[in-house]
Amino acid sequence: MSEPLVRVRGLTKRFGPHTVLDGIDLDVTRGSVAVVLGPSGSGKSTLLRTVNHLEKPDAGFVEVNGEIIGYRRENTHLRELSDRAITRQRSRIGMVFQQFNLFPHKTALENILEGQLAAGVRRRAAETRGRELLDRVGLADRERSYPRQMSGGQQQRVAIARALAVEPDLMLFDEPTSALDPEMVGEVLGVMKDLAQTGITMIVVTHEIGFAREVADQVVFLDEGRLVEAGAPDDVLASPTHERARAFLSAVL
Amino acid sequence: MSVDEAVRRHPLLAREGDDELLDARLVGRRKPGQWISAVLVLLVVAGIVKSLVTNPRYHWDVVGAFFLRPSILDGLVLTLWLTAAVLVSSYLLGIVLAVMRLSSNPVLSSVSAVYIWFFRSVPPLLQLLFWFQMASLYPQLSLGIPFLEPFVTIETAHLFSGLLAAFVGLTFDIAAFAAEIIRGGLVSVEAGQTEAAKALGLSSARIFWRIVLPQAMPAIIPASGNLLIGLLKGTSIVSVIAVQDLLYSVQLIYAQNYLVIPLLLVATIWYLILVTILSTIQFFIERYYARGKGARTGFWRLWRGQLPLVPRSRPRRDVEVL
Repeated sequence: MSEPLVRVRGLTKRFGPHTVLDGIDLDVTRGSVAVVLGPSGSGKSTLLRTVNHLEKPDAGFVEVNGEIIGYRRENTHLRELSDRAITRQRSRIGMVFQQFNLFPHKTALENILEGQLAAGVRRRAAETRGRELLDRVGLADRERSYPRQMSGGQQQRVAIARALAVEPDLMLFDEPTSALDPEMVGEVLGVMKDLAQTGITMIVVTHEIGFAREVADQVVFLDEGRLVEAGAPDDVLASPTHERARAFLSAVL
Repeated sequence: MSVDEAVRRHPLLAREGDDELLDARLVGRRKPGQWISAVLVLLVVAGIVKSLVTNPRYHWDVVGAFFLRPSILDGLVLTLWLTAAVLVSSYLLGIVLAVMRLSSNPVLSSVSAVYIWFFRSVPPLLQLLFWFQMASLYPQLSLGIPFLEPFVTIETAHLFSGLLAAFVGLTFDIAAFAAEIIRGGLVSVEAGQTEAAKALGLSSARIFWRIVLPQAMPAIIPASGNLLIGLLKGTSIVSVIAVQDLLYSVQLIYAQNYLVIPLLLVATIWYLILVTILSTIQFFIERYYARGKGARTGFWRLWRGQLPLVPRSRPRRDVEVL
């Protein structure tokens, strides 16, 4: 195994009296796909959001590509980075949301340009790359469409293209198919499978067990903020050792 | 038409007479109440128009004679100029106040809240008089750091002319309202938009100007249009501190010739023209910010849509085509 791209150590997050993440340790190897499973409220989304510092951890740290996310080390403590430095780190990490969160006042292509323009890419070059990406997610003909004129599945494919536009090292997917009508789940999962083939590192929070079995290199199971099970998909899905994981999987399979 | 024929065309539940029903035109309900109310209202309108035309004391000839007088046009220009200047400065201040109000910094947020509370509470006319009297409160104004020797000192009486007092007073007043309108618009934008923009690596300033503010505009524009129209008319209060705006210009004239009504009509017509222009501009700005929202209604279509009293009948689509 090569050096992991993502190292999560002792990650803890509280919302008031609730401990949402409780000392999570996780490695994600470069170029691999990790799927995070668990019942709702188990902290899956919070884990993902902490990886690009949309949530600040209360303890522990996340390291991506050898850099601690959101902090720099100062002797005995970690000091939060400037907005500018955090912005730079985030531009190396793509994120896809459950509710798509496309910018409704911008067309599909303009959505994909936004991150590139912020990163200083020339407009002409950004448009070329934007069209390539739209073509890759099968929406070459929709570049002038506004989000409201597209189906949920199409919007989520644009959102994936938007996240890819800044050439991230790591892609985070937060339940990307949970807000979709059933007949549109397949097209989004298809795009994600193709993406996994390209060798980009992915962390996927999902309830799609089939996707986990087929695409994941590693499946981890969260319960009440703790990582209770981790391993190859065949092991975790076929013979979970933890009681909660067994109950959850027998319910969803 | 025979039952057989009907069965051939529509095999289910065919009955004698179905074909006449299928061929019938669909016509909207008659609305006699609409006609009666329209006639009554038109009678009232006709009465008003008749008195406007026939009552000689309106002196429409005088209205015409004074309508384009240079002194009135000067007043008009001042009204427009003052409105534009106050609009720009109060919205710049309003954006700052709204962002402060939403800031996580408790000092900024509280200062903004107190500002808005104060300037929304004080009537603009009172504020205007106050600024006009600034010299008696602070004979000199200095620029510098508190408790240290000031960099610059100015005699207040020289600084605060009526016009500056009007500009400052109206700006402070309108900014408080603008801040609340802008804050409401900003809050209406979903949090997911900011998160998505952050995740793409956009800086805070970029997120505000390119993602959040454009989406807040549809909520900001209609209320701002109201505020702007209120401001345009509100500038007429500067006449009390002898600033020669549109209203004060006509007052100066009728103070000499006593033709009060026709000169007030001159000002009225000018205000009507200005507000009509502003409302039209507002319509097009709203339409611009509606992009991505589907329905974009045309100006004339919107007007026509309001008019018809007669229900429109349309021929039924031929069922057999289906």
